[in-house]
Amino acid sequence: MRRSFALRLVPVLGVASLLLAACAPAPEQGGAAGGGEENADYCARMVTNSGGLEDRSFNQASWAGLEQAAEEFGIEADVLVSTSETDLEPNVDQAVGSGCQFVLTVGFELADATLAAAEANPEIHFSIVDEVVDAENVKPIVFDTAQASYLAGYLAAGVSKTGVVGTFGGGNQPPVTLFMDGFVDGVARYNEMHGAAVRVLGWDKAAQDGVFTGDFENVNLGKTTAQGLIDQGADVILPVAGQVGEGAAAAALEAGDVSLIWVDSDGYETLPEEYRPILLTSVIKNTTDAVVEIVGDDIDGTFSSDPFIGTLENGGVGIAPFHDLESLVPAELADELTQLQEDIISGAITVESPSAP
Amino acid sequence: MTVAAVPAPEAVLEREAVRSWKVPIALGIFTAVALILFVLLGRDGESTFRLSTETDAFRLPDLTIPTRPGGILVTVLLAAITAFSVLRARSAQRTPLWLVALFGVLFVLGFLTWASAGAAVPMSGLLAGTLGLSVPLIFGALGGVIGERVGVVNVAIEGQLLAGAFASAVVASITQQPLVGLLGAMVAGVLVSFVLAAFSIKYIVDQVIVGVVLNVLVTGLTSFFFSIVLTPNAALLNSPPKFERIRIPFLADIPVLGPALFRQTIIVYVMYLAVPLVWYCLFKTRWGLRLRAVGEHPQAADTVGINVARTRFWNVSLAGAIAGFGGAYLTLGAVGAFNKEMTAGAGFIALAAVIFGRWDPIRATLAALLFGFAQNLQNVLSIIGAPVPSEFMLMLPYVVTIVAVAGLVGQVRAPAASGKPYIKS
Repeated sequence: MRRSFALRLVPVLGVASLLLAACAPAPEQGGAAGGGEENADYCARMVTNSGGLEDRSFNQASWAGLEQAAEEFGIEADVLVSTSETDLEPNVDQAVGSGCQFVLTVGFELADATLAAAEANPEIHFSIVDEVVDAENVKPIVFDTAQASYLAGYLAAGVSKTGVVGTFGGGNQPPVTLFMDGFVDGVARYNEMHGAAVRVLGWDKAAQDGVFTGDFENVNLGKTTAQGLIDQGADVILPVAGQVGEGAAAAALEAGDVSLIWVDSDGYETLPEEYRPILLTSVIKNTTDAVVEIVGDDIDGTFSSDPFIGTLENGGVGIAPFHDLESLVPAELADELTQLQEDIISGAITVESPSAP
Repeated sequence: MTVAAVPAPEAVLEREAVRSWKVPIALGIFTAVALILFVLLGRDGESTFRLSTETDAFRLPDLTIPTRPGGILVTVLLAAITAFSVLRARSAQRTPLWLVALFGVLFVLGFLTWASAGAAVPMSGLLAGTLGLSVPLIFGALGGVIGERVGVVNVAIEGQLLAGAFASAVVASITQQPLVGLLGAMVAGVLVSFVLAAFSIKYIVDQVIVGVVLNVLVTGLTSFFFSIVLTPNAALLNSPPKFERIRIPFLADIPVLGPALFRQTIIVYVMYLAVPLVWYCLFKTRWGLRLRAVGEHPQAADTVGINVARTRFWNVSLAGAIAGFGGAYLTLGAVGAFNKEMTAGAGFIALAAVIFGRWDPIRATLAALLFGFAQNLQNVLSIIGAPVPSEFMLMLPYVVTIVAVAGLVGQVRAPAASGKPYIKS
């Protein structure tokens, strides 16, 4: 009897799949050796959350900061990439065990592991991005993104032709809803100044509830959600949901006449190029510069556990240039935005949010 | 073997004893919910249903219903169906399935009316979103049905969808041909299936375990390559051309349904053909008969000369190709670029749809559509600001699935040899 070709393939495939399996979890050891010699005995480690290093968000931005610090101060830096929730604690332990003076952790999922490690190792300095951890040797890096999304909301209301703008989030968590609070208030400010009646769909600030996709992966759901907002007339959309926002970009591109406000990084640089024609602006969190500054302080011996709060004033948050859609923004509106930014910095306007750091 | 003859009177007695109260009780509970929600907690105002989109050839006016009277009307109808069901149960008759389905539709309409007081629900948007969320589920469920019918539990649907999405994005980016991308997606799905088939058929490893491991493997591999290869070379490897929507003349202008069903990409049109085709082939052709024989009683199939291992191997591969094709919808049909873990559990919902659909391609499709509908309903309602907390709304699709599986499906019987390896003695 002739055995089928398929069954003879089997062992080959089995071995191949095992080999492939072996390369999957290979941790990344993208070491960034120092440029100068002056701080050769200082080293820093970073631990990502499960989003991984190329998340176009805070992991990527934090690592860029650490790499820049390595370049600038001549220190040695390395990153431990977590691929799942179960990696977090072991990775923090490994970072601590490396004998480095400075450990940077990224994301609220790492709060518990960071606190435990900080208490066990009082001589090591820690810093955590996007979460407040209360300990002597931990410096939290947080951002008052509501200030910048206030500007984005004002801009969106000014640009909208239908009088309806929309937003949605990945989950009802403070770092997400902070954006939405500022956005809603910015629109309200525009209405107040111009006697307009622009509506915001997707977030009710008073009830602290709104539209969420429930995860940060389901891009297809993000597209449907954005489509739902567009069906209700929204023509400027602010998705605060990581890569799920890319689905919103796809929906906006298909709809024509709808523009998008990206978050965390300048979407014009980080999103696929096809979305450039619809990107109105981005609400930026400048994690990179904050990390460089904090590492610099630690080398100089001025480390403190006071939280670093990114604001419009210190450049920690801001809105990106309008790029291709500059023609949509009238000069008066741009001037008003500049004035608004100055008012927020001077304290003439305070942007309030229950989620504010 | 002789079949014991059952005396006729006994059979009649047994029939009379079957008096199931499950359906009337379930309907009663929902009627009570309707009474509380739509009548006692009824909202004032008007609910608007938008029946046409702005691009329709001929437009229907919006349908406006006063919210509270609408809710009362629906509740009365629901109560009538429940009363009828109780009467049927008392005389030991079953409530017809179409009536239960009608009950479900009425309840949903009542809920929509209640939730959309003072707002407008775009009906074709609701349906279009439903379809958009269901497509990967339907392809996954078709793959699952074929796999289980031939006797191999396909837990790896999630992995096949993800592999399909990944491969289609990469292949279509390199070739700039979305059709070639579809081919790539099918090949990727088949490769995942090969591993599943090899381990479960040849090496008799527990099929569920292989499936779970494969899901983890594909998730890890695609995420790894996404980070290491795709992200730095996004322009070359992860910017696939998307399929254009094709508007089918005349059909696309049917009110409500037209914009949802007939302004879609080629992937969705293939799905319209694939569902009846799989059903027909499974139940009306020699191939289908053999496939089901292998899944029900492999020994019998073997005795009459069907090669069980080979039948299983190639049909599991086919299932992988179909699921992989569905994965391509996520990239080439919906959003373009591949993203990490972008299937987000669709494969597991597809698996539930297989069981909910009683291993039947058409019923499984309906199950997938139900899930997609619930998910999009949640979307639409939270956008118009329904008075339900978002955390609860996010549970809606899963609650609907559980209620539907427990309440409507009841006892189901899997193909007898599904999940059991066949060892030729």
